Amino acid sequence: MCTVSPLNSFPSAIREAHARWLSDRDPHALATVVIAIVAFHLPPNIRAQYSENLPETSRLVEDLGFDSLVLAEIIFFIEDLYQVSISNDDLRRIHTVADLRAFVLSKIGPARPSA
Amino acid sequence: MPRSACITGLGFISCLGNDSASVADALRTGRSGIVTHSLYDNPAIPLKVAAPVHGFAVDSPNYRDWTWPTACNLPRETLRGLAPHGVYAFHALEQALADAGLTATDLQDGTTGLFCASAGSAFLSHHNLTQARASRFERGNPFAVVSSIAGTLNFNLAAHYRITGAVTGFVSACTSSTHALGYALDEIRLGRQERMIVVGAEELNADTILPFVPMRALSTSADPATASRPFDTGRDGFVPTGGAAVLVLESPALAARRSARIYAELIGWGQAADGHSVATSHPEGAGLREAMRRALRDAALSPGEIDYVHAHATSTPVGDRAEALALRATFSALGHRPVISSTKGQTGHGLSLSGALETAFCALSSHHGFTPGNPTLLNPDPICEGLDLPRASLSRRPRFTLKNSSGFGGANVSLVLRAAV
Repeated sequence: MCTVSPLNSFPSAIREAHARWLSDRDPHALATVVIAIVAFHLPPNIRAQYSENLPETSRLVEDLGFDSLVLAEIIFFIEDLYQVSISNDDLRRIHTVADLRAFVLSKIGPARPSA
Repeated sequence: MPRSACITGLGFISCLGNDSASVADALRTGRSGIVTHSLYDNPAIPLKVAAPVHGFAVDSPNYRDWTWPTACNLPRETLRGLAPHGVYAFHALEQALADAGLTATDLQDGTTGLFCASAGSAFLSHHNLTQARASRFERGNPFAVVSSIAGTLNFNLAAHYRITGAVTGFVSACTSSTHALGYALDEIRLGRQERMIVVGAEELNADTILPFVPMRALSTSADPATASRPFDTGRDGFVPTGGAAVLVLESPALAARRSARIYAELIGWGQAADGHSVATSHPEGAGLREAMRRALRDAALSPGEIDYVHAHATSTPVGDRAEALALRATFSALGHRPVISSTKGQTGHGLSLSGALETAFCALSSHHGFTPGNPTLLNPDPICEGLDLPRASLSRRPRFTLKNSSGFGGANVSLVLRAAV
């Protein structure tokens, strides 16, 4: 099976953040990656509005315009990247970018306690 | 109702080039697209040459990694549902629209249909199923189905261009896109559509091509210059190619209203199956002979009026022999001697792509006033006795062209084209 990372074509800063999460369990690095994944999937008409910052309070459907197919894409991207499975019940509890970040963090393991 | 359809736009992503001018030049000069090429890192595989397209990097299963040579606006929302050959098809379609003087908005009023042909993407199917199985089918790519099954071209291109006319796909192996052209002509003849877009595309990768190795269908030659030798005594199998070809067909009335440039007219077609074998031709080409007869009857032509036959001949021992016998029965037996060539000596065989690609070659031939040759034909098989198989292309415009295709299951399709000038 091909093991190309789904982040392969993402900017180096995002790939470095992912590496930081893997090595240090840095929750800020994880948040950077999750937000980059969400931003990558933004519909073209929404993308221009959020070229700089994507507020974590943004609602995935109502504010960012994701339909069920794009939500399925994002979920699969996260499943593929972190090798986890996300159920429809999990999905129903995710409404905002912050919900998604918190969910991913809880799903893939706790962050390393800060010193 | 019209009897013909005008070919008003062409698009090529091919081993001979990614534009009409390069392709026409290759057909005139005999330039080949076949090179030394490996599809899988295993020297034991007896496939040493192939005819790849250039400028595209689509060998990752992840669409985010793909690149292409032009500045085409291929949005992520379309790209996510495409297979590698869908990227070829998209670029060829953009090229064909520009060539025909059309924009995407011209396709959206219900008078335009879209017929496509490909075998789907075994490569993406393999990847997606392997990924799904690794998780015991607990997760998978939500676009796995629409990007990989046969039909992926029509699903994606119809949605992208917002085509609301007749949309479907054709799956008859190496006759697929020739079938698509025949039925597209019927759509226009029946007045159902004023314009039809016909797309053929295939991938050149291990998953699509190497299953032909156990069939002993591929050439084992390591020499790109002679590996594909249609009608030659030394032929030993086909050389694979990939890419995409797109033809825009319009009713004569629509083409006239738009003052469209007409490459050639499609004036008839016929099909007949061998009823013989799942994978090899009828030994005497019985089905192909009947397909040619039906196409000529549909076009209201006699065999003697055909100037040029673009043969299907893939360089396999059995298939070329069957076609040669069918051609002798159709033409030589009646005292006729049209020029015959198979451009697969230059391109190899594109499976579902080949009919559209080669009909587009015929359109270029008619438009520019030349007849392609058989540049790799060194020692014609004696079975071809009486057939006119020139090595070099001729500076001669065929007025009437017959285009043959044959495929698995003994399917045979013939098209008839008339020069527009």
